[in-house]
Amino acid sequence: MDIKITEELDNLLKDNGMKKEEIQEMIDNAESSETKLEARDGDISIAKGVSDNLTMYAVYSPSELVNVYAHKMKILGLTGGELDDIEYDDTSDWVCAKCGEIALERNVDMTYMGVTRPGPGIVCPKCNEFYISDGVAKTLKTAESILEEKRA
Amino acid sequence: MPAKDYAPIDQNWLEDAGNLWTTPWVDKPSERVIVDPIILSHAASLFRKNAGYFYQNPDEAVRMVCAACELYDVTPVGHYLYADYWGLDYGAEIKMQTNSPPGITKRPIKTAEDVDNFEVLGTDELVKGPTLTTHYKALDTVLEEYPKMFAPITQLGGTMEVATNWAAIEDVFMWMITEPEVVDKLCTKAGDHMVNACRATAERYGANVMITGSVIASGDLMDREQIKRFSFQPVSRAVRKVLNAGAGPGVYYHLCGNHTDDFEMWKDAPMSPFTIMQIGYDGQNIFPTSKLVENFGDRCTCFGTVDTKIVDRGTPAQVYEQARDQVIAGKDSPRGFILGTACECPTNAPPVNVHALVKAAKDFGKYEKF
Repeated sequence: MDIKITEELDNLLKDNGMKKEEIQEMIDNAESSETKLEARDGDISIAKGVSDNLTMYAVYSPSELVNVYAHKMKILGLTGGELDDIEYDDTSDWVCAKCGEIALERNVDMTYMGVTRPGPGIVCPKCNEFYISDGVAKTLKTAESILEEKRA
Repeated sequence: MPAKDYAPIDQNWLEDAGNLWTTPWVDKPSERVIVDPIILSHAASLFRKNAGYFYQNPDEAVRMVCAACELYDVTPVGHYLYADYWGLDYGAEIKMQTNSPPGITKRPIKTAEDVDNFEVLGTDELVKGPTLTTHYKALDTVLEEYPKMFAPITQLGGTMEVATNWAAIEDVFMWMITEPEVVDKLCTKAGDHMVNACRATAERYGANVMITGSVIASGDLMDREQIKRFSFQPVSRAVRKVLNAGAGPGVYYHLCGNHTDDFEMWKDAPMSPFTIMQIGYDGQNIFPTSKLVENFGDRCTCFGTVDTKIVDRGTPAQVYEQARDQVIAGKDSPRGFILGTACECPTNAPPVNVHALVKAAKDFGKYEKF
């Protein structure tokens, strides 16, 4: 699957130290393994790539890259450990491509620089895959900066 | 008083207090638990001013708060929360009062039809409105004069607090029984307003701490299902939207009043890496910190409380005793602990009582987990 990358996004990749090849590989892996989220009301998908120090996401349509973002906090699992019933509508705008389940908006534990705290994740209840939205990644960036300053 | 009339903040104290304040958030070891008595207009009383003066002079108000923080050796943050909870922005009329926060005398929503026609203000409009203009005057003063004591806070209350400043509380409670879908709409709009206000603060200062929760929506006035429907659910939606909009990272859940029947549902409220959970009362008694830590300690930072009635009208010994029990129960909570009061420090609380609260943290709040 060849994805077109606009100049604006190319600059964003450079600013974040990401390579086009990495993003393309991440998308190819997501397409072949179906480990990705698909929008419930459109043809947008989210692929993720997890390394030791960074989790990257590519938001893409069948023809082009829409957004890329990343966070340094590493997702450990569900906050509280279990996927219990909760008392508000936690359905997200995304479906897990692999199992077809609607992904849920749940707190996930994340760790960075020895500190573990919760954050709002997007969770496939069946495959136990965890994702972060682009907006939450902005929030995490602020949190990571605070941790870097205070834990240094 | 202008800035020049205040004594400079002791920088050694500020560094030490800053270290204590950092621990609950980032697990960086320090000596003991920090205390946050939620000082607002109480600071004015230390300067022989009243609550009315505090709310009409936001720049002076935060100078008084910062000085009070040093005086008591508590959280070094220049808190300021404008107290009418957004009524004025939407056409309410308020009356400044001498000894209490501004009171709303006329609300913009009078009928169920008004709820349908009511339009939530956008971020740009809110920035120009009276609440944020006043609030930002206070925050800008802290940023300029006490930069190390600055935190970009947005005071929202929960959806029911906003809703009952837009419509009279008796009308909202009547609709809850006769036309609950009207209150659903009102609380959804209150949630949308909360998101816009947080975005405004995050855009201005680069980060935001939202203070939300459930105050009117407590077990003293509403049953569990009503709290769930009109507070927990719309507040949770709003917090999710705020965090998805990148307008965090701080979330402070302030559950004032009695939350015996509903506190458990808040375990699943949306949380960020910097989340505080504070619960006031368990029935008529102070919410036990042991119960708070048992339910929230493996999720977020716990804020243990001392009864504000005791802080206001009790003896220093009573404050010290309750603070001792609460801090011993909470100090080593896995994701951090803060000792404070169940709600805002009462305006005219005896200073010796606030001192007793801090003294208990110094005497019994030494960490053992580090």
